[in-house]
Parts: sequence; structure tokens; C-alpha cells
Amino acid sequence: MSKIKCNHCHLEFDENVMIKEEDLNFCCKGCQGVYHILKDDGLDSFYDKLGNKTIAPPIKLDNDDVTKFDSENFLDNYVSKTKDGFSQIDLIIEGIHCAACVWLNEKILYDTKGIVEANINFTTNKARIVWDDEKLKLSEIILKIRSIGYNAYAYDSSVADAQASKAKRDYFIRMMVAVVCSMNIMMLSVAKYTGFFTGIAKEVKDMIHIGEFLLSTPVLFYSGWIFFKGAYFGLKNRILNMDFLVATGATSTYIYSLFILFGAKGESYFDSVSMIITFVLVGKYLEVIGKKSAVDTLDKIKSSLPLEAVVIKNNERKTVALNSINIGDIIEIKPGEKVPVDGKIIQGSGSFDESTLTGESLPIYKKTQDIVYSGTINLDSLIQFEVTKNFKNSTFSSIVSLLEDSLNSKPTIQTKAAEISKGFSVTILSLAILTFVVWYFFGIDLGFDYEGTSQFEKSFIVAVSVIVIACPCALALATPMASLIGISELAKKGLLFKEAKFIETLAVASSVVFDKTGTLTKGELNVSKARILDDNIHKLNLLYSLLSASSHPVSISIKKYLESKYDLKIKELETVKNIEAKGMSAIYKNIEAKEFEIIGGNIELLREFGIYYKFDSTKTVYLFAINKKVIATFELEDKIKDDAKEIIEYLQNKNIDVIMLTGDNEQVASKIANELNIKKYFAKQTPVSKANYIKELKKENKIVVMVGDGVNDSVALSNADVAIAMGNSADISLAVSDIVLLNSTLNSLKDAFVISNKTYKYIKQNLSLSIVYNMITIPLAMAGLVIPLVAALSMSLSSLMVVLNSLRIKMK
Amino acid sequence: MINDTLFFMLIVGIIISAGLLLLFVWAAKTGQFDDANKMLNGLLYDSVDDLNDAIKKEKNLKEAKEEKLQSEKKKEEKKEE
Repeated sequence: MSKIKCNHCHLEFDENVMIKEEDLNFCCKGCQGVYHILKDDGLDSFYDKLGNKTIAPPIKLDNDDVTKFDSENFLDNYVSKTKDGFSQIDLIIEGIHCAACVWLNEKILYDTKGIVEANINFTTNKARIVWDDEKLKLSEIILKIRSIGYNAYAYDSSVADAQASKAKRDYFIRMMVAVVCSMNIMMLSVAKYTGFFTGIAKEVKDMIHIGEFLLSTPVLFYSGWIFFKGAYFGLKNRILNMDFLVATGATSTYIYSLFILFGAKGESYFDSVSMIITFVLVGKYLEVIGKKSAVDTLDKIKSSLPLEAVVIKNNERKTVALNSINIGDIIEIKPGEKVPVDGKIIQGSGSFDESTLTGESLPIYKKTQDIVYSGTINLDSLIQFEVTKNFKNSTFSSIVSLLEDSLNSKPTIQTKAAEISKGFSVTILSLAILTFVVWYFFGIDLGFDYEGTSQFEKSFIVAVSVIVIACPCALALATPMASLIGISELAKKGLLFKEAKFIETLAVASSVVFDKTGTLTKGELNVSKARILDDNIHKLNLLYSLLSASSHPVSISIKKYLESKYDLKIKELETVKNIEAKGMSAIYKNIEAKEFEIIGGNIELLREFGIYYKFDSTKTVYLFAINKKVIATFELEDKIKDDAKEIIEYLQNKNIDVIMLTGDNEQVASKIANELNIKKYFAKQTPVSKANYIKELKKENKIVVMVGDGVNDSVALSNADVAIAMGNSADISLAVSDIVLLNSTLNSLKDAFVISNKTYKYIKQNLSLSIVYNMITIPLAMAGLVIPLVAALSMSLSSLMVVLNSLRIKMK
Repeated sequence: MINDTLFFMLIVGIIISAGLLLLFVWAAKTGQFDDANKMLNGLLYDSVDDLNDAIKKEKNLKEAKEEKLQSEKKKEEKKEE
């Protein structure tokens, strides 16, 4: 038996299971269908473009539901009109893996008559389609996408999305203008500074000044506009922020250089103007990108909820948009569907996957009168429930809107540099004014002469030179330089910091809050103890077959365990029954038509079948019986991660509060907390109560770090000062977190703390360095004693000092 | 003389770079850099067919707009009648 590739999806399968067609091989009907559609439409160059990459086989879909795309309700909510009178919709396309997929989708859409524009974003899988609704129905477009093995969902392209996209593009252009101009200025500067030492004709120098002036003007006024705006809003709120410092520093240097350009004696510093704007702007751009990707993920999450629900009124079933569901309506959901709104079950019972809300992987059994929450998945039965909350107030929607709010108001702690810059700006500005006043009114004429300039000009130039010398270069660079090197060191260890300021926050953190499942523990049930009472291979085969018929996490992990120990085969079972939240039963007939009743599940289930088996355990138990005789018993538990104890000891030694929050019950929580020596823990937490706890901690002026992984942690994460997510977390948690531990180990969390502390130390050193520098040079500048050579050298020297000091972070 | 030449070259250099920068700004404003991944992969799709497709796309867009305009005019005429 050899493995061969499917001609469509390129995945490798066993030769025997392939569908053969002349010399073509397909893994499934879906692949075969898509292959022929592409061939017939002349789109088979897709396979050349795909190359050696693989794609997922097409998703099986019944196309009955496409009519909903043509309902008036849907069109009202998601379709807008362009100014040319075409219709426009935003979709998220599922199944895009590579650039060839994007090409194929765009190509097939453009080839459809009536579609005017189809633009798919490869990174976010968002698509914008513009079409003529007189020629084509939306459902036909959706069918077209589905015919080639992809699926499309509509999403409400939110205001936040449009804003984030716009901001990203705007910052990108501003940044690129600054970078291009600065690079050109750098080339001119090389000539200028060489001339400094070898001598340079005045005309050539003037020429260079003109060039630098032309290039730095757009940098200051176009690219640097953001800082003027930031400074303005800061002033409005009576805060002198970092933007203000950058704006005043750059502008005064620019004005000073203008004086030089128009004949005053001295050196111009147009290059410093553009450098400082460019450096700080690049940092800001990275922030904007982070925000945009968070919004994209939120949109993806929102689109995962169904758009409509089936409402039963007077024994009639009607599909209704979620927004128009009222409290008291009766809603029916089929197995596998997501619960659209919160409600109370009035008919049926079954298991619900609540992992999106609670993080617990075990399905929860619910019967009549129990409450179901939106966003959870109905696993196995037909359920009718009465709506208790409308769509906007339902659990899932309120989590999403909480996240949206907190994204816009991410808590920031005052950074050291910002703290210093506040006092710094005021001091420098008043010193400059003082200098001007003293020089002008007392007519002081110290230092070298400014030929042919009036007393006013003279005083003004000296005053500005105070600001220029105190140029925030070193101060503004102190934090970014150290952070940049810190971040790259962290990245080498698999720690992704979304913003540099979190290094500082992490270094001064006072409480660390852990989620339990998936963070401190492995988040999956493992067989911790197994007793096989009868190891007859035929009997174990039956156990294996029963387990294979279920997708319950318990079954899967026992199955894994058995696979590692025995070589088992699947037998055909009859009348396999799923007993909600308890286990399964089935009948097996052997060759002699002898019947075996097989049961697998918890103690309660066995009791129901009349088997009384004594088994004491605090863990999850799975028993297996054939014809009322227990054959095997399994105990399962979630294991603590190997490195959990170490990190908690480390944090406690540093006098940091360690707290554990979990959605699990008290018993499990206390056991894990004891094992890890965690004094404070809270069980049975909901997403919102976790977030509230974090808010309360912050009210006590604590700087809170939250470590989590699931959707259930996302609200708490977004409220913490620093949010850390495991690399294998849910998309939404990654989006709201500030630090991602790519290799998902707690050891790397320790590295994060160690390196952050080190970096923070150097940031503080850098700040003191730049202050000491200013204390020496500012008095000289005030006295008008700064000769051009000293000014030029000290300007670069101060920055160089900071850069070199920051490089020490790399040393062990 | 040599200074004049230098100055001339400087200005020419700035003008050329400004031109390229404007071209870039135009490209960014029309959304060509919105999706970095797609842009980089776009290099792979430059066969004759792909280029013909691109022309076809623009032609179709133009035609569709004209058609729409005419059909809307007709509608308005009908209303007036």
C-alpha cells in the first residue's frame, strides 16, 4: 500500500481509498467535483499556481440555505449601494490557504456576468464584492464560491474596521514619506559632515542646506502632523505629553535651522528634525497595525454566529434575523448549530459545547428549564428554547461589545519616559524663555560674535539653541532604543511583544493572574490510571470501536491511550446510542450471530443498566462493560504543566501576588492550587466575573498581568494592564493580548519577566544619562557658548551614548 | 560652474525622488499596499493570461458602469412618462 496525492487538494492518502478516474486520483467526491469545474472553466492553471502546496478538501454543504442571502432582511442588513448604483457586500471567505486560492476566487467571480468588482484580502480573508443586482442574485454569487470548494459568510463591516483600515493606510503613507526623505537627507549629511573636517566651500554648504530644507519640510509638516495633533489634544486636557516634546523639539530645531539657512552663522540641523520624526513615527505605525489586526479578528469571530434563527409561532417555522428576535419567542436549533441568543430550554435535552465561554472542554448536559447561552454549540439533539434575552444583550454579543470597548480604551500605565518628559518640557521651555529675556533686556553679548545681527535676533537664536541642545533626541530615544533591543531579545526566545511599553509594565507588575485550564494545566484530559481487567483482544476491539463512534474528548483521549498500547481494529457495531453526558451503548453481533451488549460511560450509566460497580475517585471516570461485566476502568485528569511550579515560585520570590481564576468547580480548583502552592484562587468564574476581578485589583492600584488562553479569558485579558496569551490560544485572545508566548510554555513566561526587568534597568540608565548630558550642555547653551562644532558633536554623541548603552542588554 | 552643476543635480535628484514618492503615495491611497501578503504573491501571477485578465477586468468595469448609467436613465424616463 502506498500513499498517493489527490489531484485536487494534494493531500496524501492511501491508494485503496482513492476515487480513481483514468490516471486521476481524488480523495473525495468534493475534490473530484471541484477539479472538473475548474477544468471545464479553463481554470486549471490554478494547479500550476498551487505548486506543491496543499489545500483542504472542499467542505460538504447543503445548498438549501442560500435562499437566506436573498431575503429582504439580509439585504437590508449587509448589502449597501455604491454611488454607481451597484450593490456591495463584505464577506469573509472560508478555506483560503494560499495566494492561488485568492486568485481562483477572484478569477471565478470576475468571470461571472454581473460582478463588477471582487477584491479578496489574503491576510484577513475579507472580500468586498460589487455586483449589479439586476443581473445577478447574491445567492448565485455565494453558490459560485461554494462550487469551487470555499464558503462565504457575511459580516457587518463595522465602523471600527473602516477606521482601523483608514488609520493604517494613513500612517503607512506618512511613515513612508518620512523614511524616503530622511534617507535622502542622510546622504546629504554625509557630504556635510565630511566637509566639517576636510573643509567645505560656503556655497556648497548652502546648497546642502537648501536640499535638506526641501526634504525635511514635508517630514515635519506632513509626517509629523500626528505629533502636532497629539500635542494639541494633550494641551487641551492640560497634559504635556511625549508628542508635545517631539513636536516642540522638532519645530524649534527646524526654525533654528531656517535662521541658519537665511544667513545666520552656525550649523543647521534639518537632519535631526527628520530623524526624530521618522523614528518615533515607525513606532506609532507598529501600534496602529496591532489595532487593525485585532479588529480583523473580532470581525471573524462575529461572523461565526448564525445570521438568522428559526422561530416557531403558532406551529409555523419562520426564519428571522437575529436583531428582530424578541424576548419570549420560541427558537428551534438543530444539532451542530450555534445558539444564537440566550434562552431557557422548553423542549429536548442534549449536550452543549460551552468551551467558547467557559474554556472547559467537556460538553455540558442540559435539559428543560436549563439556560443556554449564545455562542455555545448544540452538539447532538433538536432543541426548542424560549428567548430570555434579545440579541444585543445575549452573552456572546455582550462579550464582543465589551471587547470592542476595551480595545479602544486599553489601559496604559504612565511610562517612565513620559513621566520625565512632562517635567522636562516645562523646564526647558521656561529656561529658553528666561534665556531670551535675560539676553534681550540685559543686552548680554557673551561668546563668539553673530556678525550683523540685531540684539533681538541674537537673543532669539541663543534661546532656540537651548531647546535644540536639549533636543529630546536622547530622551526620546532612551526608551525606544532599549525596548527595541529588549524586544528582539525576547523574540529570539519566542516571546512576541505587541508594543514596547509592555516591557516596562511587566517589569513593575504587582499581581499576576492565571487562568487554569490550558494555561497552568495542559487543557486536555489524559488517562492517568487504567485498569484492564480482561485483556482479550476481541473485547478490547469492541471497546475501541465504541470509542471511535464518539467525538467526546473523553473517548478521544482513551482511544489515544489504547492506540499507544495495543494494535486494535474497528468492528461494526449496531444500534450505537449516545446517552447524553453519560456515555454510550451498542450491540455487537459476532459471526455466529451471538449478541453482545456493550456499554461505556460513567458509574451512573452503568447503574442505569443494572451494573453496580464500586469505584471511588475524584477524577473523571470511564467504565467499560460487555454483557454486564466490567472489562476495563479508566481515570482521566487534566495534568499540570511541567514548568508551572517553577514560574509560580519565581513570581512569589519576587513578591508578586499570584492568583488563579477558573471556570471549573471548587474541588478541582483547590486541588490544583494546593499542588502549585497558590494561596489565592477563585472557582466557578464566568468571563465577566474574571474581568470584574481584574478591574477590582486595578482599583487597588495594582499593576495586573493576566495570563490566559481561551475566549472565556478574552474580556479579562483586555482589561489587564498586560495581557499574555499562550501561542495556541483562541484567535480572539491572541487579538486582545499584548504578549504572545509562541511556544506556549510557562518557562518562556519566566524569560519574559527576566528580560523585561533587565531592559527596564537599562531604560532607567538611559534616562539618567540623557538628563546628565542635558545638565552639562544646557548651561553652556544658555550662556551662548555652544560653538557649532560642539553642538554638532554633542547632538550625535548623546544619541550614540544611549544606543551603545542599550546594546548592553544583549550581553549576558 | 561646477557648483551650478552640483545644484542642478541636487534639484533633479529631489524632483525624481519626489516623483517616485508621489507614485508610491498614489499606489498606497488606491489600496495597493493594504494586503502585504497578496502584494508579494502578486509577483507570481504575471503571465500573458494574467495580464490580459487585468485588462479585461478594467474593461468590464467600464462597460458595466455605462450600462448601469443607461439603464438608470431609462428608468427615470419611464418614471417621467
